[in-house]
Amino acid sequence: MLSDLTFGQYYQAESFIHRLDPRFKILSLIAFVVMVFVANSFYGLLALALFLVVAIIFSKVPILQMLRSLRAVLFIIVFTVILNIFFHTSETETVLFWIITKESLIFSAFMAVRLITLVMASVLLTYTTTPVALTDGLESLMYPLKFIKFPVHEIALVMSIALRFIPILMNEADRIIMAQKARGADFDTGNIFKKAKAMIPVLIPLLISAFRRAEELGDAMDSRCYSSSKKRTKYRKLKFSYRDIIAGVISLLVFGAVVTLRVLGVGV
Amino acid sequence: MQIISKGLTFTYNRKTDFKKHALNGVDLTINEGEFFGIVGETGSGKSTFIQHLNGLIFVEGGELTVGDVNLAVKDKKEKKALKKRLKELRYKVGMVFQYPEYQLFAETVKEDVAFALKNFHPEISDEEREERVRKAIETVGLDYEQIKNKSPFELSGGQKRRVANAGILVSEPEILVLDEPVAGLDPVGKKRLMALLHTLHDMKIVKTIIIVSHDMDEISENVERVALFSGGKAVMVCTPKELFLSDHPAVKRLGLPVTAFASKKLFEKGIEIDSNFKVNDFIEKVTEKYKNL
Repeated sequence: MLSDLTFGQYYQAESFIHRLDPRFKILSLIAFVVMVFVANSFYGLLALALFLVVAIIFSKVPILQMLRSLRAVLFIIVFTVILNIFFHTSETETVLFWIITKESLIFSAFMAVRLITLVMASVLLTYTTTPVALTDGLESLMYPLKFIKFPVHEIALVMSIALRFIPILMNEADRIIMAQKARGADFDTGNIFKKAKAMIPVLIPLLISAFRRAEELGDAMDSRCYSSSKKRTKYRKLKFSYRDIIAGVISLLVFGAVVTLRVLGVGV
Repeated sequence: MQIISKGLTFTYNRKTDFKKHALNGVDLTINEGEFFGIVGETGSGKSTFIQHLNGLIFVEGGELTVGDVNLAVKDKKEKKALKKRLKELRYKVGMVFQYPEYQLFAETVKEDVAFALKNFHPEISDEEREERVRKAIETVGLDYEQIKNKSPFELSGGQKRRVANAGILVSEPEILVLDEPVAGLDPVGKKRLMALLHTLHDMKIVKTIIIVSHDMDEISENVERVALFSGGKAVMVCTPKELFLSDHPAVKRLGLPVTAFASKKLFEKGIEIDSNFKVNDFIEKVTEKYKNL
């Protein structure tokens, strides 16, 4: 069933990572992504992987659950590794067949580690940050864009509504699929075109219900005098705390080490 | 077709940390020809249970047979064999979900009602299919000629509901399962739908009818036997009268039909009325008592 999907869910827990400011988490995720590609040596990647593992342990999210979220991107990882093994060009001797060199093997292993850490780091962000906090954080980070007339608040609102409605629409899709199955609809057999056509009895009711919900939500917001034009105050104010300072110092040390390794050219 | 469930269990999101036990061993037998009710609070497992009856959910633990179909498959081979029989089972066990009007999708009413028939029996000729669609639409009390080429989305809420019901009745199921069939209908619509179910049952067009409901008046008035679901189990299987006389905490929370409530209040004042809590019987018993005073 669709509701079995765990990718991008929030995991309820009381932990150091959960309590970090969402803005800090978003910024450090971006920095982490950059660092994963800055690191070009074994030690650099090892440092980042260890950093991530420690963060996962501190987040209290079960490690198995984290690993399970990799399933969705497993295909991409395998595909990248295979491509890199065969097409990474290098001048050293081949070790296997005619085109596979030691270098290409190492490079594709690096690529796999990079992808896995990337996915895990972003999953850690969504697991430890509620959608509301996430969009609040993004809105706050995008604030400077307001001066070039970018509709920051509206974009943040659209994002939070979309995030909020994903589980609801997935449930709804599940229900409609069941109802149509009860009327003999078959979603499992046939080629891809037949399967796509079989989805029409699900997509039309789903779309209609999405529009209905949008209208209801709009009415509900209107009836409470929602307006994005005025200066809005916030119920939950984002505040940096001592936790963010501790986490920030640790991140800076790790990222600094990674940059240093790169500059000094240690390893490969 | 008899339904036999023994120790049926089911868990949602079994493999994740969000798991939720929905059924904890349901023991329940529903005989052919019954007008059966299922009651229980939200989250008691009623909807999960009925979704097992036509194989929308596969059995995880325990036993379940519907007619001669064994739904509790042990291995992959048995599961494969079951999947082949699912169409036949779903054809015979009609399932009306809550708010079934939200599943309408086709361009015309005619096409939407024909959907199930096209899926289950694509070999049926166009004339025969049209005849059965006409019959189903007329059964739910709509004018076929007037409505057949309309878009289901331009109908009123009550009409949509009836078209959706026709979309299930078109397969002429032996067992009809309805999840909260009258929710959201106006009083006339409620009465009309319950009357329709009784007609179908009395004329043996549908042999077994199972309704899931929160409305105790509806249960008291319509069903022959009822199962009370609580904590993922069928904790009581009895007549509606026995259910409303029991002191099970879930019954107290669900409330009583108005007749049972009145009987209770009268009893506290020293007046004993022994009815089966159906409105007509209750009025008769009260009249009798009053005349004998």
